[in-house]
Amino acid sequence: MTLSYVLLQNLRRNPLRTALTAVAFALPMAVFVLALSLVVGFVRTSAALEQELRLGVHHRVSLTNFLPDGHRRKIEELDPQRTRLRAVCGMRWFGGRVPGTQQTLQSLAADVDTLPIVYSDIGLTEAEIAEWQRERRAAIAAGGVARQYGWQVGDRVVLESTIPPYRQLEFRLIRIWDESPFPMTFYFRRDYLLDAFERDGQIGTGCSIFWVKCVDAAALRSLQKEIDALFANTPDETRSEDENAFVAGFVQAVGDLPSLAQAMATVVVIIVALVAGNTMMMSFRERIRELAVFKALGFSALRVFLIVLSESVLLALLGSALGILPVVAGLTLIPPDRLRWGAFSPPELSWLAVLGSLSIGLAVGIAAGFWPAWQAWQLRTTDALRRVA
Amino acid sequence: MALPLVYHWRNVFVRPTTTTLTILVVAAVVGLLGWILGFAAALGSSLAVASDTHKIIVIRRGSTSEGTSALPPAEFNKLSQVTGLARDPQTGRPLVSPEMTVQVALPRKRDGGRTTANVAVRGVDPDRAFAVHRNVRLQGPVFATGTQEIIVGVKAAEQFAGLKLGDVVNLGFGNDRGYRVVGYFTADGGPLESEIWGYLPSLMNAYSRNAYSSAALRVAPDEDPQQVSAQIEGPAIQLTAKTEAAYWHEQLKLVRGYLVIVTGLVLIMSVAAVCSIANTMFSAVAGRTREIAMLRTIGFGRGRILLGFVLEAVLLALLGGVLGCGLCLAWLQFVGRTKDMLGASSFTTLAFEIRLTPTIAAAALAAVVLVGALGAFVPAWRAARVQAVSALREG
Repeated sequence: MTLSYVLLQNLRRNPLRTALTAVAFALPMAVFVLALSLVVGFVRTSAALEQELRLGVHHRVSLTNFLPDGHRRKIEELDPQRTRLRAVCGMRWFGGRVPGTQQTLQSLAADVDTLPIVYSDIGLTEAEIAEWQRERRAAIAAGGVARQYGWQVGDRVVLESTIPPYRQLEFRLIRIWDESPFPMTFYFRRDYLLDAFERDGQIGTGCSIFWVKCVDAAALRSLQKEIDALFANTPDETRSEDENAFVAGFVQAVGDLPSLAQAMATVVVIIVALVAGNTMMMSFRERIRELAVFKALGFSALRVFLIVLSESVLLALLGSALGILPVVAGLTLIPPDRLRWGAFSPPELSWLAVLGSLSIGLAVGIAAGFWPAWQAWQLRTTDALRRVA
Repeated sequence: MALPLVYHWRNVFVRPTTTTLTILVVAAVVGLLGWILGFAAALGSSLAVASDTHKIIVIRRGSTSEGTSALPPAEFNKLSQVTGLARDPQTGRPLVSPEMTVQVALPRKRDGGRTTANVAVRGVDPDRAFAVHRNVRLQGPVFATGTQEIIVGVKAAEQFAGLKLGDVVNLGFGNDRGYRVVGYFTADGGPLESEIWGYLPSLMNAYSRNAYSSAALRVAPDEDPQQVSAQIEGPAIQLTAKTEAAYWHEQLKLVRGYLVIVTGLVLIMSVAAVCSIANTMFSAVAGRTREIAMLRTIGFGRGRILLGFVLEAVLLALLGGVLGCGLCLAWLQFVGRTKDMLGASSFTTLAFEIRLTPTIAAAALAAVVLVGALGAFVPAWRAARVQAVSALREG
């Protein structure tokens, strides 16, 4: 009689209980793997952003206050030798939307000369950079927004601004940025915006944010302090933060999903542990005499211990798999754009999350089975056989 | 004759371990549920308050919110043609309030100021604004028009640092004008409580603005707000008019989406709780087959036994529910009850305070009763169908 045979027989003995436990285990595990996917997605994005070494400099009062264009030169002069900063790219919020829709895109007018350096992660090719510099209406759209509106490279695109003076501008897409961590991003040239505004006597100067591409992390920290000190006590004080801190502000503001996911994950682990523990206690109690018979037949204490423990582990893994599979299938089959939360990346299916969930399932199985298994180990055959269940 | 309640009460504690584990599962789910219902209630009351049918918010065409709208005085003055507005009983002027909305980044108290939130600052003319925004009530004095003073909504004051009475908040385009907090105001719990209000000309000057952001209008009680909106959107004025309800419904889109996600997750976990209770009850029934047979023999009917076991599960679930509500209360009390989220396009934050009111606790407990009953029904059915004779003969 092999261990696996005993295990299968035991699980099949009370199919209803096995099924109920598996479901009670699977559903929270589905939530868990979803929550973990979300967190893994955020962690991955933030790790990627950290490598980009970008420092965002914006107005201290709020992002809606523009900083004068001259700040760029002043920031560059902090490091004329370019030993700490590579380039500075000024950006102005355009807040454009496709006419007739309600969704505001993260559309920003960017300095034409430095965008390819500061946003090297877009991965513009030589030819694309040349086109960006030649074509005044050039624009780069993130994959999410391009898919949503069915845009292709070369398309003519019109956006209307939702902020004063509510201009409509026409662009030509030169690149779709598929790997953008923020799927609703849209970049275009700031000189184009300036000209369009000035032709109509509107003011287009001023940047919402300056992105400073730094050489290394130490340079980023030192520049952060120096820039804020440089503009302190001027009419346009700045607040500098690295890109992750900047993004974290928005994550907080749209509901702080990562914290929610973490809280959910914690509660879920508690629930599944209780569910599994409950089932194992019940199974054990009902089978005390049977286990005693095993012992009386000469099974070693260790073997009985293993029988009980592995039943718990098997049940937990079964439940976990049952919960994880539908989520894996869902995240694979549903187009990620439909799972997007605001302007942030959708939960991303990662093997890290799946593996993490399985190991949590395993750990819960061990924890839940340990106490009954230990009691089985210590079971005194004579007492147990005498006992009436 | 029904089975006495005390029979079930005692039975719940026959297997302390199983009972405790089941109670804890239910408690964990109910704790989450309580939090979510509390948040949903906060959102609901915000929306309910912000649905004054006779208040219209006017913004510039093409803009999506007060924060991104610019209404130059020339455009604003066109609103004087609008008919059907309520009038000030003293001056006889129509109730139209010009307003300017800007933002200031203030540290959140919740995380010790590690992050900041965009708090709306609204410049208003007190003579007109309080007549249009009827639910705004002052606690303390209003800001003076001659000096730099502001009043703060109670929710903003609770959640963001630096808004105590007497504190000075730096505002203005250059962040160099200190405005002193002189009083608080309430708005029946509505979204305006997340804002800071100051004197319109003073704030416009501080931000070097010559345009308002928006206007709020009060429609006369016997007039149709639709007809007033139609005038404003029509060819003569060409601005966007929204009733307060429509405006905030749109702004709270993100918050609603968040609630839908969370509620979905909790529903999933509730099914897990149902399964857990079913498991426990199956075990209870299986362990008591002979006892049930005995009860049947001495004359308890099937219906009674079915009801009895459902009742037992409900008792079990209620214990978990009460514990869960307690956990939720403790969490709100000691960890935090505040949450703030950005409006969908306004770029300013809306603060919510989550409370576990008796109504919400009752709703959570009602859900728990349902969970218990659902989980127990099949096992109880099985108990009711125990064949007395054969069960007594066994074992």
